[in-house]
Amino acid sequence: MDPAEVEFLAEKEMVKIIPNFSLDKIYLIGGDLGPFNPGLPVEVPVWLALNLKQRQKCRIVPPEWMDTDKLEEIREQERKLDTFTPIPSLYYMELTKLLLNHSADNIPKADEIRTLVKDIWDTRVAKLRLSADSFISQQEAHAQLDNLTLMEINTTRSFLLDSLNYMYKLRSNLQPGRSQDY
Amino acid sequence: MPCERKPMRYGHSEGHTDVCFDDEGKCVVTCGSDGDVRIWESLDDDDPKSINVGEKVYSVGLKNGKLVTAVSNNTIQIHTFPEGDPDGILTRFTTNANHVTFNSSGSRVAAGSSDFIVKIVEVVDSSQQKTLRGHDAPILSVALDPSDEFLASSSCDGSVAVWSIESQTQVAQWQILQKSSDVSNAKSLCRLAWQPRSGKLLAVPVDLTIQLYDRNTWTHVSTLSDDLISQVVNVVVWSPCGKFLAAGTVGGNLLVWDVEAKLCIERQKHEKGFTVCGMAWHPSGGRIAYTDTEGCLGLLEGVPSSSSTVQSTKAAAAKETHDYDDLFDEDDDRGLDEGMSDSRSPVKKPIMEEDDDDDDLMPATGRPRNRGSFLDDDDNSQDPSCVKLDGVPEEDGSSAILPAVGPAVSRPVYEGPMPTQPQRAFQPGSTPVHLMHRFMVWNSVGIVRGYNDDQDNAIDVEFHDTAIHHAMHLTNTLGHTMADLSQEAVLLACEGTEELASKIQCLHFSCWDTHKDWIVDLPKGEDVRTLCLGQGWAAVATSALMVRLFSVGGVQKEIFSLPGAVVCMAGHGEQLLIVYHRGTGFDGDQALGIQLLQLGHKRRQVIHGEPLPLSRKSYLAWMGFTAEGTPCCIDSEGVVRMLNRTLGNMWTPVCNTRDSCKSKSDHYWVVGVHENPQQLRCIPCKGARYPPTLPRPAVAVLPFNLPYCQTTTEKGQMEEQYWRSVLFQNHYGFLSSSGYEIDSEGQSRAEKEQQELLMKMFALSCKLEREFRCVELAEIMTHSVVTLAIRYASRSRRMALAQRLSELALEKASQIQEEEQEEEEPAYQSHSSREYRGSNQMSRRLAPVENGCEEEEEYPQEEQMDAEESTETRKLSLNPFKKGGKSPERPSPKPMSREGRVNPFKVSGAGKSSSSPAGQPRTTNVLDSMTMSNRKPAPLGSTSKQGKAPVLKPLAPKPKSKTQATLLQMSASKGNSKKLEDSQSEAEKVKPAPAATPPASAENIENRKPKTGFQLWLEENRKSILADNPDFEEMDVIKEGMGRFRTLSAEERLNWTERAKGDSDPKKRKREDEEGQVDEQTESDEGRTKKKKPLDTSAKLSAFAFNKE
Repeated sequence: MDPAEVEFLAEKEMVKIIPNFSLDKIYLIGGDLGPFNPGLPVEVPVWLALNLKQRQKCRIVPPEWMDTDKLEEIREQERKLDTFTPIPSLYYMELTKLLLNHSADNIPKADEIRTLVKDIWDTRVAKLRLSADSFISQQEAHAQLDNLTLMEINTTRSFLLDSLNYMYKLRSNLQPGRSQDY
Repeated sequence: MPCERKPMRYGHSEGHTDVCFDDEGKCVVTCGSDGDVRIWESLDDDDPKSINVGEKVYSVGLKNGKLVTAVSNNTIQIHTFPEGDPDGILTRFTTNANHVTFNSSGSRVAAGSSDFIVKIVEVVDSSQQKTLRGHDAPILSVALDPSDEFLASSSCDGSVAVWSIESQTQVAQWQILQKSSDVSNAKSLCRLAWQPRSGKLLAVPVDLTIQLYDRNTWTHVSTLSDDLISQVVNVVVWSPCGKFLAAGTVGGNLLVWDVEAKLCIERQKHEKGFTVCGMAWHPSGGRIAYTDTEGCLGLLEGVPSSSSTVQSTKAAAAKETHDYDDLFDEDDDRGLDEGMSDSRSPVKKPIMEEDDDDDDLMPATGRPRNRGSFLDDDDNSQDPSCVKLDGVPEEDGSSAILPAVGPAVSRPVYEGPMPTQPQRAFQPGSTPVHLMHRFMVWNSVGIVRGYNDDQDNAIDVEFHDTAIHHAMHLTNTLGHTMADLSQEAVLLACEGTEELASKIQCLHFSCWDTHKDWIVDLPKGEDVRTLCLGQGWAAVATSALMVRLFSVGGVQKEIFSLPGAVVCMAGHGEQLLIVYHRGTGFDGDQALGIQLLQLGHKRRQVIHGEPLPLSRKSYLAWMGFTAEGTPCCIDSEGVVRMLNRTLGNMWTPVCNTRDSCKSKSDHYWVVGVHENPQQLRCIPCKGARYPPTLPRPAVAVLPFNLPYCQTTTEKGQMEEQYWRSVLFQNHYGFLSSSGYEIDSEGQSRAEKEQQELLMKMFALSCKLEREFRCVELAEIMTHSVVTLAIRYASRSRRMALAQRLSELALEKASQIQEEEQEEEEPAYQSHSSREYRGSNQMSRRLAPVENGCEEEEEYPQEEQMDAEESTETRKLSLNPFKKGGKSPERPSPKPMSREGRVNPFKVSGAGKSSSSPAGQPRTTNVLDSMTMSNRKPAPLGSTSKQGKAPVLKPLAPKPKSKTQATLLQMSASKGNSKKLEDSQSEAEKVKPAPAATPPASAENIENRKPKTGFQLWLEENRKSILADNPDFEEMDVIKEGMGRFRTLSAEERLNWTERAKGDSDPKKRKREDEEGQVDEQTESDEGRTKKKKPLDTSAKLSAFAFNKE
């Protein structure tokens, strides 16, 4: 699964937009959307929001958590704790990227938000690496990681699994039948 | 000799504050609980110098360039002044000091602390300390005698003590204060003050009075008091000359006495009545600075200070009559002045308001000033049109008015109702004019923003729907302050200045020629107060109490006068709504009148200047029309009221926005009201009354909620729902009566909802055994629903009730019949308007449809579904993504009649709602879809959902025969006025019912009237018609069908008619067969509404019961 796929999944998230056109309900496989009243916020999936935004048909209302104060709080929390803190959106990274890339003009303090989210992301990924490292070095059989988002899992998954496989191979090939200290 | 109370301004965060002047009186120095000391050049100083001295500052003193502060870290600190550099710590306590003060020369500092100790420290050498011990509680205040001999202190232990500084002993003590445990609990701060220079008198605030003690004898010599003082005196200060004494109270009163005469010469009230906790007299006199516990700083200018004023004060008594004359002259002049030079200029508005959005914009709540005399009041009320300024120095009934009756007697205080300041004219949906970035209007069409800052004076026009027009940016050279926006034009206006006349500018962007705008100058001396746009016209209300109408292209049209100063106007379609001052309101209330005019071809006044109801002590905050055209108003208390046209144009409260506010200071700023769907569109403003322009606020939607009793109970809830539905349905009547096309689907949906609610209420009262109430409810019901009610009653074995209901039903039926006979002749014309006459008749035509719907659910395969419904079912069957609904056994091959293409993803949950694709119609502005129809829209579906039945009228048995039929069926012997054939067939149908009793058969019969030959023919041939003309509407199909049917030979036609006659019976049997399945199906269908089920199952019983009768 590559990041593009995860991003694709993230596009299903709902986001509020303020359309500047008027349209009745539209009926789609995923459900009904609308009706669209100019000036009245309505919830639509991110993919539609971005599409409309690109056509200058709407303004995007940033999700509630996309706010410097809240993100700062999360960042502090994230730095303080060793475990992963619950994140307001399972797709925070993807959404931030998508929304900020396409409609930074509708989001107050876009740059700060970008930095904050990047900080949170870095902290979390660092934690993830660290725990993967200790997982391997201590030769644990299982580990529990809560509150991880799809994108985060995805960053390490292929690498971690491959390396575990290789290590397993190496270990079993090297000293069959004998335990070994690492 | 009035003194002027300058508007307050924020200095510190909330909490205790203190204030003093520097030696020359150039600066005001304040301290506050935010730990800052601020140095203000003047009250208008926007950027006071701020020195942070600690976490909290309790008291501040300033002399000889030394600033001493009592800080929360238990120290007394010195800072240099005006640089603000720290200059060491003077002394320390074990807890914080409460008051610190200099002696008159500035050589010593005295401080009193919460650790019961008073210290006197030499400023130059802080090791020279004297400690005074003897109080048994925290020290409230200290004061050093000008001759440096004594020190006075007040304490929470209730005592005021005078100490000899030299011997450090108490020389006098009075137990005159109330005891308290701590400074925070003390009623008063009890700031003491020695008379300057001589130090002869010591002023002590005691409760509501100020007591003066003599220095030589330490005895109480006199008391100063005033009737106005209703709460404890907090602070006293002497004027530098020692002749006057000023006091500030917990209640926010500021008073000045002439001590010798013991005469109160000045009474002022804090503009918000906050506690005054710091006062300082300007070194040259004439000015008093004060601070309150909310961190605000205020200034009294023109306070008497020289001996000459005293003279005049004394002379006042002699010149009494003369002064009265003076007073009148003065006031009259002012009134005139204001009228002439239109005092609304934004500059003059108090600066405070900007910070003060949270509070009432207009000081409508309570009269902040002390209105001294009757005469003064009278004078004001005679001049209601004059818009008083906040900032204007108000006549305060100063000493001149009053004869000095006795030494300490205060003048009489008028205690009757106080007139309210009339609220200013405003544009609905705008934020205050003095804001630099403001919304000039926000309505359902778009937003007009005004910028007026250093770089730019501009106006941005933005449309919600960019299809109307693209956004515009205008430079605001004329200084427009008012704006309105419609689908056709932007109307802007500015007030006149001395050189320039007041102007109206209209950008008529929908104009098709090249000149898109026009400007009109108003006559000199006449200013625009408020304006509005309607469809094809504009209206402007002016300071000359006039309303001027223009066409949207700029043609001047009617002008007329208003009975009072205008407050606001709103336009919608052809309606113009004007709110004006009807008179003077009292005690915070406004006295507003309202006029509603119809400016269409037939001009008339709908509301003739009736009083507009507002909440107590509130003013009008928004006024306008719902998108559907019903007048609506919102007051400052957040109560939304809507005009109830069916209740003699009364106002019904429909919502209180304050109910949904999380905190007290939150408000909702309303931008639009919609009746269908019921939406109150507003912008949540956290901690403010108005939203900022940036970040761009988002619109929220609030539901309506009528303030009915006991809405927690099921009954109250349903009642509220019912009446809300009725109220919000009124606009259909209005729209159709004024010739607009209406959303008949929405209307019938609302009617259906109402009937359902009635039925639920009926069931509820049945359960509660309240039979009388049941009958009452039944009276509101439509006829067909009454039959359901009867069935319900008889099923639940309430025969008496059922009996009464059936009588009622008969009554209703005969009523209907009468009306129908009346109706017969004038064709359709009266249909629609009749619909709205009364709620109880409102939806009787709906009944067949309603039943039809139920039937559709119960028998999806029923042949008798009309075309529309069957298409719906087909959609269901074809839709692979459908969520609910059952699979119809026989997909009807009929082509789609209404929509050319059908969206395969359209999920239609319940069959009913599916038939309304415009379930939530877009209603940005109903005017969008409102087009004047040449003929009355009545034939278009005032009866049935699909708008089909009336078209059939000329051919098929009329819908009314359906209702007739039900009637026949339930009261067997009644009504033979109808066609025999009809009744016969009905009778046939009723007969088999008791035997096998298809449960809903009775119900269905209404709808199962025998088909005519044409209908049968049409059913067969519809497909071919549609195939030929795929884009035909239902109506067109029928017309075409009629044409084709006529071309058939007579024989063929007869053949069809025969078939029609022989049609009903076989079908009957079929239905019986299917009965079982259907029942199972219904039972298994969990998603079904509850209401249907009992009816369905009950039908068997009821039919039985009726038969017995």
